[in-house]
Formats: sequence, C-alpha cells, structure tokens
Amino acid sequence: MPSLLHALQTTIGRKILTGITGIFLTLFLVVHLAGNFSLFSSNPEAFNAYTEFLHSLGTLLYLVEIILVIVFLLHAYIGISIWLRKRKARPENYSVYKTSGEPSRQTIASRTMAITGVVILVFTIVHLFTFKWGPGIAEGYVTYIDGQEVRDLKRLVNDIFQNEFYVIGYTAVMILIGFHLRHGIWSSMQSLGAMSPKLSPVIYTIGGLIALALAVGFLFVPIWIYITGGV
Amino acid sequence: MSSEKMKLTLRVWKQKDGASKGRFENYVLEDANPHMSFLEMLDHLNEKLMKEKKEPIEFDHDCREGICGSCNLMINGIAHGPQQKTAACQLHMRHFKDGDLITIEPWRATAFPIIKDLVVNRYALDRIMAAGGYVSVGTNSAPDANAIPIKKRDADLAMDFATCIGCGACVAACPNASASLFTGAKIAQFSLLPQGGPERKRRVVNMVDQMEKEGFGDCSNYAECEAVCPVGISIDAIARMRREYMGAMKG
Amino acid sequence: MQNVKTNLKTSDKLDAKIPAGPIQEKWSNHKNTIRLVNPNNKRKHTVIVVGTGLAGASAAASLAELGYNVKAFCIQDSARRAHSIAAQGGINAAKNYPNDGDSVWRLFYDTVKGGDYRAREANVYRLAEVSNAIIDQCVAQGVPFAREYGGLLSNRSFGGAQLSRTFYARGQTGQQLLLGAYSALSKEVHSGKVEMFAREEMLDLVVIDGKAKGIITRNLVNGKINRHAADAVLLCTGGYGNVYYLSTNAKNSNATAAWRCYKRGAMFGNPSFTQIHPTCIPVSGEYQSKLTLMSESLRNDGRVWVPEKPGDKRAPNDIPENERDYFLERRYPSFGNLVPRDVASRNAKYVCDDGKGVGESGLAVYLDFRDAIKRDGENTIREKYGNLFDMYHKITDENPYKVPMRIFPAVHYTMGGLWVDYNLMSNVPGLFVLGEANFSDHGANRLGASALMQGLADGYFVIPYTLGDYIAGERPEPVSTDHEAFKAVEHENIERIDKLLKSNGTKTVLDYHRHLGKLMWDHVGMSRNKEGLEKAIKEIAALKEDFWENVYVPGEQSTYNKYLEYAFRVVDFMELGELMARDALVREESCGGHFREEYQTEEGEALRDDENFAHVTAWEFAGENKVPERHIENLEFENVKLTQRSYK
Repeated sequence: MPSLLHALQTTIGRKILTGITGIFLTLFLVVHLAGNFSLFSSNPEAFNAYTEFLHSLGTLLYLVEIILVIVFLLHAYIGISIWLRKRKARPENYSVYKTSGEPSRQTIASRTMAITGVVILVFTIVHLFTFKWGPGIAEGYVTYIDGQEVRDLKRLVNDIFQNEFYVIGYTAVMILIGFHLRHGIWSSMQSLGAMSPKLSPVIYTIGGLIALALAVGFLFVPIWIYITGGV
Repeated sequence: MSSEKMKLTLRVWKQKDGASKGRFENYVLEDANPHMSFLEMLDHLNEKLMKEKKEPIEFDHDCREGICGSCNLMINGIAHGPQQKTAACQLHMRHFKDGDLITIEPWRATAFPIIKDLVVNRYALDRIMAAGGYVSVGTNSAPDANAIPIKKRDADLAMDFATCIGCGACVAACPNASASLFTGAKIAQFSLLPQGGPERKRRVVNMVDQMEKEGFGDCSNYAECEAVCPVGISIDAIARMRREYMGAMKG
Repeated sequence: MQNVKTNLKTSDKLDAKIPAGPIQEKWSNHKNTIRLVNPNNKRKHTVIVVGTGLAGASAAASLAELGYNVKAFCIQDSARRAHSIAAQGGINAAKNYPNDGDSVWRLFYDTVKGGDYRAREANVYRLAEVSNAIIDQCVAQGVPFAREYGGLLSNRSFGGAQLSRTFYARGQTGQQLLLGAYSALSKEVHSGKVEMFAREEMLDLVVIDGKAKGIITRNLVNGKINRHAADAVLLCTGGYGNVYYLSTNAKNSNATAAWRCYKRGAMFGNPSFTQIHPTCIPVSGEYQSKLTLMSESLRNDGRVWVPEKPGDKRAPNDIPENERDYFLERRYPSFGNLVPRDVASRNAKYVCDDGKGVGESGLAVYLDFRDAIKRDGENTIREKYGNLFDMYHKITDENPYKVPMRIFPAVHYTMGGLWVDYNLMSNVPGLFVLGEANFSDHGANRLGASALMQGLADGYFVIPYTLGDYIAGERPEPVSTDHEAFKAVEHENIERIDKLLKSNGTKTVLDYHRHLGKLMWDHVGMSRNKEGLEKAIKEIAALKEDFWENVYVPGEQSTYNKYLEYAFRVVDFMELGELMARDALVREESCGGHFREEYQTEEGEALRDDENFAHVTAWEFAGENKVPERHIENLEFENVKLTQRSYK
C-alpha cells in the first residue's frame, strides 16, 4: 500500500486535503462571523471583550493561528497546483466550449475557483494588515474593559468602514467568497467521498445556502456601518 | 422527408498528424438533411470532397449505435454535441437548424494526442485499465456462477457503472481534462461486487497512480463529465473511487 | 436415428478430425489424449491473435496465462471496441438454473435444429458442453449479469428454444462479456505476456512450407507495413456482413484478414450462409451508413402488418382494421408474429415486393403496439421495452407509443466463414479460426444468444487445448521475418496499396461498396434464384474491373487514412461477394438463411434436400479470376433426427 505521504500527493489525496482544509476554513469563517456579530450586541464592549479574550489565550491563540496559516496556505497551494496541472493536461484550449447543462455543476462559481481563491488570498493579507496589524493602543485606539486598557478594535472597524473604497472593496470580496463557497462546500464533501446520488443535490443546495448566508453576513457589517455611521 | 435540405457551415479542425500544427477549415454543405446522423452528414461531406479530389476529414467511428465508444467529436463546444446521453454517432441533424455554423474539434488533452484531424489516441485509458481494471481470475478457475449470491441492488448498481463505453468524453468535457469518471466507474463497479474484493486496495491505488502518470488533470467536481456521458454515468463513481482510496490508505 | 448419406464424398483435403466415441465423450476423450506443451516450452512459442472481440480477447488472455507469448492485433484504437460489444440480447448456457429441464443435450439439439441441420454435430455438442463454464468464468471476472432478488442469476427465454437459458446484462450483454474478456486481456498486457498492437490491421498471411508462420500488418496511424512471425496465427476477425454495405455490423468490420487467408490456401466454408434479422430500423435515405437492430423480443407484443392495398400512402393510424394485412398471423396462425428470423424476414420482403411496403422508400413494414398498449397499458409496455422505444425515437424522431414502428430486415450475422476442423484449425496448418470468422457451429441459421456463446467457448475453452496439441506435435522452430516469404508477401501488399493510391478515377470507394451491397441484397439476399445469382456473379466481376480503373482513393500511405483502409477492404468484399453468390448457386436447396426460390414447398416454405446437401461446401482458391475449387465435407447426423421445420 502507498505511504501516507505518497497518497496525499496523488490526485485523490490532493482533493481530500483540499476538502478537509476547505471545511476547516469554512468553519473558521462561521466562527469569525459569529465574532463579527458581537458588534451588534446590546453590550457596547462585547466585541472588544471578545477580541481581548482571544488575545488572553496567549500560546493557544498562536497555536491556532499557526494552524490556520498552514491550512490556509496548504489550501491555496493545492488549489493553485490543480490549476497548473490543468494547464498541463490541456495545453491547447477548445476554440468553442460550452457546458452541457444539468447535471453539470459547471457554473461561474466552479469555473472561477482559482481566481476567487487568489483574490481571497490577497484580500486576507490586506485584511490582516488593516485590522490585526493595524493601528492599536499606541495610535489611540484605546478603550477600557473592567478598568483595563485594551485595544478598541470596534472603533477601528467603525472608522475603516466610513471609507467607501473599503466598503466597496469588502462587499466585492465577500461576494467572491460567496462564489468560492458556493462550489467549495459541496465540492469538499464530494472530494471526501461523502456523497451519494440522493444526498448530492441536497448538500449542493445546503452548500449554496451556507455560502449565501456567510457572504451576506460578512458584507452586512461594512454596509451597515457605512449607512448608519457606526455601531 | 429527405427533400428537407439544410445548408450548414462546418468549421472543422484539420491537422495532418501528431507532429504538425493544426488549423480550422471551413466547409459549406448545401444539402444536409435532418434525418442524417451527424456522422452520416460528415460522410456526405467527405464524399463531396473526394469527388472534387479534395482531402476528406478524418474522424473516428465504428459501431454507429452508441456502444463502441469510437466517436469523439467536440460539437459546438460540447462533447458528443447538444443532445445529452447520446454519442455523436446517434446524434441526428434534426437537432440543428438550416444555416447553422457548427464547430467540430477533436478531444483535447495531453493524454489524448491527435493522430489526424479529429482522430485522437486514447491508449492512456487502456493503460489505466491494465493497471488494475480486472479481477485476476485465470481461465477455467472459476467457481459455479451461483456460488456467491449478490444483492440485486448491488448488481444493478455495478451494471450502471459497467456500462461505460470508454469514449473519453468525460476527459474531453472536463475543464481540467481529468479521467476520474472513467477510472472511477471501473473501480466503483468492482467495489460493489464480491469478486472485486480481494484486489480492491491494489486496484484503486494502481489505477489512480496510472491515471496520474498519463497526465490527466485533477477532478474539481464540475460534474461536466456526467452531463456529457453518453450513458449517463454518475459522478457517484468518483465519490466511490475516493472512498475506495481512503480505504486503501487505512492499510 | 436416421443416418443421412449424401451422394457426394468428403474431400480428402477436409479432415474434420472428429474424435471417436459417443458424442458425450468426444471432447473429454480428446482433451485426455491430445499432446501437451511443457510449461517451460510454452514461453518459447509466439502466437499471433488477430482481432480482440469475444473470441480474440478470450483466446489471447487464456494463452498468455498458459505462458505463450501472445501478439494481439486490433484495428480499433482499443481492444475494447471490437464489434462483439454491440450484441444486445444475451448468452445461452445449459445451466438449468430455472429448473425447466434444460441440459447440455437440449442446448445441443436446439442449436443443430435451429441451424437447419447444416452444422457439425460434434462441434455443436462441445459448444453446449462448455457453455456453463463460460457463465462461471464471466461471473468470476465481475460481469454484472442480471440477478433475482435472492441474489442469484436471472434467465430469460429467446427465439428457437422452449426454455429459459439466456443470461443477460440488460440490453448490453455483448458489451459486458467483451469488457470481461478485455479485462482478462488487460491483465496479461500488464503482466507483459501479451503485446498489444492497436490500430494495426492484418493485410495478409505468410505461409512457409505450407504452414502459417506470420502476418503482414499496416500501422493505421503512420502507414508503416510491418512483419510479424509466429508459430501459429489465430484469426478472430468476425463476420463479413458488410459485404452487403448496409448491415448491423460496425463500419470497420471487414473480411480482409479472412479473405487473405483464403487466398493463401485456407478454404472458405458455406460463404452464402448469412443471417438476416427481421427487426431493424429501416433505411431512411441514400446517405444511410448502417442499420440499427431492435431486439427481436419486440415481436412478443408487437403485431406486424402492412396496408392491404398496394401503394396506400395514408398515415398508419388512419388505416382501418379491415384494410390491414397482418401477414404473419395470416400465413402462420400457430406461430404468428413469433416465427423464426428467416421466415419473418422473407415474408416482409414479399409484401414489400408486392408494393405494400410502407414509409418513404416502401421498404418497411409496421410493427404495431397499439393493441398491446390497449391490453396492458402504456406503462407495462414501457417497462418491458422502454429502452428500445427510446432508441427508436432517437433515431427516427417518431414516438412508437403513438405510431407503429417501421421495421425492415437487415444483414446481421454470417454463419459461413473459414473452414476449420474440430480443433478449430483451418486446412492450413498453424492457422486457427475462432468465433464468427470460422464457418461455425451454427449451420445455416444461428439462434439468438448463441454467437456470444461460441466466441467465448472457442477462446476460453477450446483453443487453449487444441493449440497446445498443434505446437506439441509440430515443435515449430522460430522463423525470421527476413525470410523470403515475408518479403514477398509484404511486397505484394505495398504494390496493392500503391496501385490503389495511384488510381486517379472519378468514383469513390463508397460508390462501389454501395453498388456491391445492392447487388448482394437484391440477388444474394433473403431470397435467391439461379438467374439472379448468375447475374450477380457477372456483375460483381464487372464491378471489380471497373473499380481498378475508375476508383479514387484520397490521401497518402504514410498518415492515418480511413478511405485507403476502406478501399483495401472493399476490394476483398467484392471478391468475397462473388464467392457467396457462387456458393448460393451450387447449393440447390433452401435451408435456414439460404432460401432458393426454386426449392420451396407448395406453401412457399424452405425445402431442404438432405439427400444431396447435408454437407459443408468449402471453397479453395484456384488463382486470380479462376473459378475456385469446390470441396465437400459430409455431415454425419448420428444423434439428431432430421425433420422439416413447420410454423403453420
């Protein structure tokens, strides 16, 4: 039998890894979104308290972050390698190419996985620079929870999303994330061999709904802040 | 009936041999007929070309009843053309209109090198089969056919996968040029039958390795393969292949 | 038991080598006494297998397993595309799983009778005897035969038998069996014992010192002419139905390999015995390239009719009941629409000859399901025949649930082929012929579901033994492909190809093939007579001459060139067509698929002449443009009583 290392590098192993990392990243998005919604909590400091709690985890947080980075990069690396292999597998494209229609799942969403993926990769870096490594206590984003000085990330969020370029940019990217997940969620299940002909259309629909919910959920924050002037 | 004439413009890929560069050539056929099959329309065009001492178009074909899997035409961007669950040989011209422009290309994939015009080599599929697409039973060493009962449901499902005609449309239509449906169908068939049991791990590992060696792309779950498959094999075959593979990894 | 003797004597050149003893023991005795090849010696021998259908793939795989070095050739791009793949209905075996009293004897008896007593008893008995092992073998390979809810194999009944002995895999039995044999072949390709040559066509046989020693091939991709030497050559190249141009055969099915062997000395047995299947989708125009078969099971519920008035052009549903002629039910009240293939076909031709045929061409009869739908409901009919109705709809664009199907007979199978002895060896030592390519176990008519049985029986269960006997007896020394004989045969073929490419005429190969097909269909088809056969012989000779003067073959030798391949094959079709007519002419009787109008009963049924024609006619090539020599192998019927068939 093949070694695990060999197995994971085969066409099936790569898809299994993409699927597992994809599911992991989707779960991360769910957690992230839940965190975002603490902005709307009746307790005005809930969001900052949440971020502070995360930082208080110390080593554990670093560990999670390292895992996240590895998973994210692995997912991106395999995605790009699949795209490169495709170019090798068909160097000359058809002059006319169309989908045959149902039951094909060839859609704008599935055909742009590489593009939306790269956009998400770039966005993530920008996003980290904007918020994670953005202005903090030293720059005056300070608030106090239970008398303790903490970073006022909430104000930063409110400030950033006053800028229409950010709002438009975020909205666009969130739509692309939605597209990525539209194919990605169902696809990850199929890659793990977890589908059957009966289950497949159900999961495809559910995957679409989750993608929609996540995209709408994420773009709600910037738009709301921009329209209402802040939360 | 046969008086219903159709005028067609055919944009066809012409390529002298594997080493030469190809190009599109346009042909006008004044008297196609809705009752012709697509291949008969090409026969007709070829006959006209030969009467004019011009070179005919080479295309692969044999049984012309949708079972041998020889025909391999990309018709207006869709493998085997616009009618689903139909090989190009059973596609009829009534699915086209008078005045249509029809683009015809060969299957395109690194693993399917072009031999001439619309004819490609699909030996890669044979090599995938040789890597493990069989039960190693020698002639005359079989037990009685009814010695092992098989659930009707499993036998029927195995048959669904076994009907693959090996045409390669799945590869041709796949945006990644993956052969996963072809390979998965054979693995799925044997995974459902007790006869396939003893070699199941070896089989999936070797066939998947061979598929990779032949230079096919990865499967991105587009399911375009299922949509163009002339016998409608489900991508469930691919899910089953992956499960088999994971089973093999468990050692 | 009646012992028929003919007035003719078996030719000295045709020794069938039938083993002695009672028929039930012939094969086992033979296996016990034939010579064996030591396993270490097998690897010193090379065997060429031409064709990878059921017979070829199963033979190549089995011989490779035994240790022989096998070189397998096919003209398609993959061994899996051989035309066995298109067989629909099923495969017979005497398993008696349904407990309806089947036995090897009954399968043997039905097959001899179905063949109208023109097959060799010993061969047919062996076929029936090994039939069960075929099913075992295929199931073990993972062939997904239809099963009952209990998990055991399902059977259905087929024409010419009163038992359920047909195993099937939906309507794709041939495909599944071939894929089974192909998988066995793939296994040996992987092990290195089989060297596979796809897209490589056999052009000729090389005979050295009277023995088959190799073949000349053309690589269909680059046109290279190659020489291959071996200790034995197995021809598994199928039938020659495409002589008729339109048939249910695949477009590339051809007779070239068999015909080349004939011209190198192998005798051709019963070339006129062809099977014409009654239920095919009719021709819809000049451009038609092939015919599609509809399973004969449709005749269980469909009623065959034509308008009573010749030239009635009304739509079928507008023709009232009393103006319809249900001609099969009228002529054969007891069997009705279920008469055997040859009878149904011939009667369809008669009514069309009377101008009652329907459709645009007037060459079709209706197969009407109206009454069955009324009786059982559309759903029941859909369950039984849904896939066939869909296929019909796809091809004709007519809905058979609403309007009657139009059907017409089409050439389907050839019982004739190269003459072989009990060991499947032709009269040229070292040349073996398997499957449809040999003159077969089917006599003058083949029963449904028996072709698959024969192909696999020959390949899996006969040739592994009989080839060993030849090799052990012969102890052939390897020959070099540099031998003069190889050079000479290769040269002849290169010249022939050059000649074809240089003939810069005005007619296409298709023109000639169509013309030949029409001559054959009109005169050597369902119904034959002396005058027509003589005319066919003359006209084919003229056509052949015209071909070499006026044909145009495009392209070049060094690339893929389908029309060159085609031209090469059509030349052989013409020569073979002539021989078929000649054979039909000398067989002055009607039997099975061979119907001579001069020899019929008062009711217009086939009239056999067992006194003078219970024999195989084997033709020996006598030189270009010379009348071939006719040989006879008498058929001794020691176990089956010869009777006249009646379906009234």
